[in-house]
Amino acid sequence: MKKFNKILFVGLLAVLMGCNDAIDIRQPGRLDAANAFGNVEDLELGVLALYNQMDVTPKISMAANFTDEIAIGFDSGGQGIALYDFVLNAGSTAASDFWVRNFRVNNRCTILIEAAANITPDASEQDAYDNALAQAYFIRAYANFELLLYFSPDPRDDSALAAPVIDFVAPLSIQPLRNTTGELWDYINADIATASTLSTVQSDPLFISRDAINALRARMAATRGDYPTAETLAGNLVASYPLASTVNYQLMFLDASNAEVIFKLERTQNDSYDGQGATGSVSAGGWAGAIFAFVDATLDGSPYFEMDRSVFNLLDPSDIRYTVNVAPTSVINPNYDTDPDPVNTDKLVIQKYPGSEGQPLMNDLKVFRSAEMLLIQAEARAAQNNLGGAAQLVKQLRDARFGSPQALPSYGSIADAFADILQERKIELCYEGHRYEDLKRIGPAANVGIERDNTDCTTQSGACTLSATDFRFTLPIPIVEINANPAIGGQQNPGY
Amino acid sequence: MKLKLTWLLTLFMAFVMQFSFAQEKTITGTVTTADDGLPLPGANVIVKGTARGAQTDFDGKYSIKASSGEVLVFSYVGMKNVEMTVSASNTIDVSLQTDNTLDEVVVTGYRTQSKVTSSVSSVRVTAETIENRPNASFVQTLSGQVPGLNITTSTGQPGGNSLVQLRGVSSINGNTEPLFIIDGAPVDEDNFRSLNPQDIASIDILKDAGATAIYGNRGANGVIVIKTRQGNFNQGLKINYNGFIAYNTLQDNDYNAMSAQELLTYERTRGNGAGAGNSSGKFNPGAGTPLTDAQIAAAPNFNWTDFFFRTGVTQNHTLSLSSGSENTSQFTSFGFSDTQGILRDSDLKRFNLRSNITGKSSNEKFRYATNLTVNYSKSNEPNSIGSGAINRNYILGAYISVPYITPDDYIDGADLLSPLSFTNTPLFLLDRLNTYTRFEEEVKIVGSANFSYALTDWLTANAVLSADYQSEFLTRAEDPRSFNALLFGGAENPTSGFQQQNTNRAFSYNQVTSLNFNKTFADKHTIDVGLYTEYFKAHFRTFGYFGNGLDPRTFFPGDGSALIPTANGLFVDNPQANILNAGLFSYFGSLEYDYDEKYGFAATLRRDASYRFAGSNRWATFWSVSARWNISNEAFMEGSAFNNLKLRASYGTAGNQDIVGGGLFGGPDLTEDFFATTAGYGNANSIALSQLGNRSLRWETIATTNIGVDFGVWNNRLRGTFEVYERQTTDLFQSTPLSATTGVTSQSANTGELFNRGLDIDIDYDILRPTDPDGLRISVGVVGNYNETELKDLPNTEGEIIGLGRNGGILNEYFTLRYVGVNPANGNLLYLTANGNVTENPDADNDRVWLGKNIIPDWNGSFDVNLDYKGFFLTTQFNYVTGVDRFDNDYGGDLVDQNSVGQFNLSSDLFREWTTPGQVTDIPSPNAANLNSFGNSDRFLRDASFLRLRFASFGYSFPEKYLENTGLTNARVFLNGENLFTWSEWRGFDPETRSNGSRVYPTPRTISVGVELGF
Repeated sequence: MKKFNKILFVGLLAVLMGCNDAIDIRQPGRLDAANAFGNVEDLELGVLALYNQMDVTPKISMAANFTDEIAIGFDSGGQGIALYDFVLNAGSTAASDFWVRNFRVNNRCTILIEAAANITPDASEQDAYDNALAQAYFIRAYANFELLLYFSPDPRDDSALAAPVIDFVAPLSIQPLRNTTGELWDYINADIATASTLSTVQSDPLFISRDAINALRARMAATRGDYPTAETLAGNLVASYPLASTVNYQLMFLDASNAEVIFKLERTQNDSYDGQGATGSVSAGGWAGAIFAFVDATLDGSPYFEMDRSVFNLLDPSDIRYTVNVAPTSVINPNYDTDPDPVNTDKLVIQKYPGSEGQPLMNDLKVFRSAEMLLIQAEARAAQNNLGGAAQLVKQLRDARFGSPQALPSYGSIADAFADILQERKIELCYEGHRYEDLKRIGPAANVGIERDNTDCTTQSGACTLSATDFRFTLPIPIVEINANPAIGGQQNPGY
Repeated sequence: MKLKLTWLLTLFMAFVMQFSFAQEKTITGTVTTADDGLPLPGANVIVKGTARGAQTDFDGKYSIKASSGEVLVFSYVGMKNVEMTVSASNTIDVSLQTDNTLDEVVVTGYRTQSKVTSSVSSVRVTAETIENRPNASFVQTLSGQVPGLNITTSTGQPGGNSLVQLRGVSSINGNTEPLFIIDGAPVDEDNFRSLNPQDIASIDILKDAGATAIYGNRGANGVIVIKTRQGNFNQGLKINYNGFIAYNTLQDNDYNAMSAQELLTYERTRGNGAGAGNSSGKFNPGAGTPLTDAQIAAAPNFNWTDFFFRTGVTQNHTLSLSSGSENTSQFTSFGFSDTQGILRDSDLKRFNLRSNITGKSSNEKFRYATNLTVNYSKSNEPNSIGSGAINRNYILGAYISVPYITPDDYIDGADLLSPLSFTNTPLFLLDRLNTYTRFEEEVKIVGSANFSYALTDWLTANAVLSADYQSEFLTRAEDPRSFNALLFGGAENPTSGFQQQNTNRAFSYNQVTSLNFNKTFADKHTIDVGLYTEYFKAHFRTFGYFGNGLDPRTFFPGDGSALIPTANGLFVDNPQANILNAGLFSYFGSLEYDYDEKYGFAATLRRDASYRFAGSNRWATFWSVSARWNISNEAFMEGSAFNNLKLRASYGTAGNQDIVGGGLFGGPDLTEDFFATTAGYGNANSIALSQLGNRSLRWETIATTNIGVDFGVWNNRLRGTFEVYERQTTDLFQSTPLSATTGVTSQSANTGELFNRGLDIDIDYDILRPTDPDGLRISVGVVGNYNETELKDLPNTEGEIIGLGRNGGILNEYFTLRYVGVNPANGNLLYLTANGNVTENPDADNDRVWLGKNIIPDWNGSFDVNLDYKGFFLTTQFNYVTGVDRFDNDYGGDLVDQNSVGQFNLSSDLFREWTTPGQVTDIPSPNAANLNSFGNSDRFLRDASFLRLRFASFGYSFPEKYLENTGLTNARVFLNGENLFTWSEWRGFDPETRSNGSRVYPTPRTISVGVELGF
């Protein structure tokens, strides 16, 4: 028996000794933070993850759903109706998406930028290292610029509150307050300056190049009201990237040409955006075309949003933009405004994102095109009271889009010119996510606001117009932030 | 030297004692029941204070060696023990009395003990109340039977998982379900669909810390110990068959869905849909002119609920064989069941085999038992249930399809592509029924081996080795000719469709080794000490593929011939594989002391380590103490009406290491920061941040205080238990909101406290207790539990988290706008501001308030009434639940959603909608300016309390005199019903569903008939 006890004791001991295999387990397939970025190649792979965080579908959705680009479609299942009714508050998805997404991008970029500081590249790797960093700085600047655009009530007032400036990897306990617009501009400008210094590529439609950096700088300058800078930068880019021919213009939206593309985000089969996403939500995150339809960009593709008549009525059938934007399967009722049932007799299907690579609704997202640069240049000229010069540029764009010379517009005032430029932007850049930002920037000066076609909006709850000075052209600080950071709730934007 | 001497002495003593007891003789006799004088097979005969024992054979006869002066103890479950002292006679016949103190034996920790000497809170459910119930999972059957045990089944899928919670909700994100142990093997608490309920002999539910602390790392939410049937030693072959057939039907709803005529009329009024002549659906497409009254009257009226739901038929057969020789016994059972769900395309087929063997050495020092069950099941389980996918969720089709479209409108999937109309929803789903396959096959093996060796009379070494293996195999495929495949493939991809196959395998091994000391000193002092180690290791493996693109020529679900190679970015197949490992290790001890069955004390102490906290706080200590006072055994109680009165109290802690609630493998290394190599920009490989670690992660600790009284009066005619408890969870693992500037909006951390306080009641009363066994017996019982939750120390300065609750408030308290009705002036919706003023335009943020309501029950339990008369029996069980508030989203989100006119069916309540100023009604105007402005309010929050006839059984047991010469020893027929009637203000299909979702699969009403035969 004593022997048995001994055996038992040894057995127990063995079990005790052998227990570590049960409680000291390393799961296979893990990449520790400390080992993630060891060399320049790792850094380049990290940059590809940063690009994957960039998405312009939220602003496409915001501009379309909230302003006067779309009408509720005949096949609506109720998608986006609240935003269409101008319902925007701290609980809205729009507010949380723009806030959370851009701070996430800011954070991921900063992590990579800090990790890069621990890598010493060989001479042969220096260019790759610099260019990787340039892209990280650019993506961070782009995200912070979007925060400024959507959360600062006035991007031209340096003392207005904007978003917190977080130029470090924030500790989890942080509860920052809002910085001023001027301070946020400083942060963005510093990043853009660094990106500009480090970038080693002049031009590349799918990746960030010096040209893309300059395009962002042009947009930033126009936003801040620094029109001389905007005019120079935009003018240089228009020179390098001539407007597309009508044929190439069509091909561009089929992703078959990069004719006037300065930078676009590639969207391809099986990438993380290859899916329908949350239809009718600003935070959809899927195919760009799924912002408007469930299945494809035809009448049978279940369009839950259709083209607002206020866009359609501006499109001349001989304008290539009519061909690009209006699906041929659309049902057009010229007497829509007197028809008793316009929803079912006048069906205008949006075709800007017809799909590519065999996947309906999936298209590359055009971030910067030379047409936008040209319109920035025109706006800058108008703002500096060069009304004739502005008109010349608008004519240049129309000539290209019609494929034939068009009449030279004439502007009696800056407001006139702004109004015409806004109208040209409305059809040139429709469904590309500009309208909300444009109305906020020069809508008040042009005396233009949201003006939906009466027939379209009255078949809904009657939300037809909204002044560009309305408080809802700035998003509220979202509840999700206030929950974690109550003090910032005391700095809520006016009107909310 | 001294040690050696002691051992020598011990050996000497043992020799002397054996010598002195050498005058053994063989005692024989018959054990009968006092009620009817019939022999009692399987009764235990033990020589008191020794390990010597025997069992009575088929004729109630036994034989055992004993010496004069020794005491024989005769026992049988449900009977009172009898003790007889061996005298000169070699024959001792005994007759046992029925004992109405059921639950003679309780399981505590890793051993069993008598109820009298137990100081913990536990309840036993016996086979009688489990067998023959037509539920594919035995867990559903436990509903309402045990005070404090809340079982909610939110799906009608046969064998679907139930939510099991004991005494409230102890965790926010972590596991809240008890540990299940089958014959010593800890098993997956979410998957019982493959196990045969008919094999179960007993289920013990351990509730307080005194009972569960010894299960330390997994016992924080209670422990459910399941024992399966065993054979008996010295028993002839017994064959038992039972079988039943059951009919499952849909429970009713009260939504007043419109008929085709009503709906078309409403559509005409609203100017939208087929009634208004502007639908693109199959019925009256796009004609442009509204239907006339005559056309509406002539329209077809089809009930899609009756189409997607059916009467499901279940059959269940179990055959068991048990036998035993002197030193071995065995129990073998075969089971087959086929359960059809009430939803088309849902079912479960299962085959079970069980083999339980027990044995002992002839000197009875060594004992062993092995339990093995091998099971295979195959179930069709439709997915997308609960979703809003009009082309995938059959339930949605059953609830809100327009009745003027009929199955006759269906040709094939291609026909539905153009025009694409929401109104054709039922046809999309009908097409899916024809073209979509999804089934799961499962092999489940649970085995355990139990060895014990009695080193001396008072010292035993034990080992329990057990394993749970589960292999799930999923196949699903979408036919390339289906509507869905054609729709999403588009013209560019006419051979769309997909096939997915996936296998999940999980294996867990558990080993408990122990040394147990048990000795009685001076007849009155009993001490029991146990020292244990427990080792647990588990492995998870999964792999599978998702194949895009199928050729219709060679397509067959599950076969790969139709898979199309990748071309032009199409038909990319996705493989996946994952490995996870888990482990736990513990050592612990228990001590128990009893004085003369009057006073008792017990304590446990345990050290636990979990693999989850390897990077932070790996080890933790848990402990418990408990004590009891058997008042009825005191001298001063003699002659009182109380035949049993026991007061007990316990306090202790237990840990919850499954803090993410993901089972064995969830959240394996949350303490670390990780990056992942994953698809990035343009689907190129990239390195992306995948996890921000929490360096201070640790166990959730649950401390339970329990005070209970067990009583029996008037010969146990009235008997029961009262208990009060408090469970305090500290270091709750919960989402802590973070500023988005950190790159995330929340991180889960150990913070805050949660209390569950409540009481358990269990009372039974025999209204009529006949002296004659054929007399009328009527008994009634009440089972009840009241539980309330309270949050404390929430992780922010306001002390409130939306979605979770507020300090001092209840868990998951609703926080939303208050809806007060329809403005009679304009038909707009009216709300309250935070200050209680009526407004049409509340602030969607600041006017939300805490409502003091949640989805967790206050009271739950059951009433039962049982009658027996001359072999006839009637059992009824009424379950009740109060304090559950749910959003009726099937109603609010679908049937009265005025935006969906023309596309879906609606409730005829909409005929009350506001049309004229001054009209007082509860349905707003469809043109109300704020109809779509405030989606979140309490407008559709409803009380889902209910009383339900959960179970009723009526049957007849044939008396033995009728069975003579038939070869049968036992015959019974029965008629059972489940969910027969429900009384509730809830308008939906099933008030029991614990979810705020909509379009979910309700549990069925079931009626079954069956027989039980013994040979």
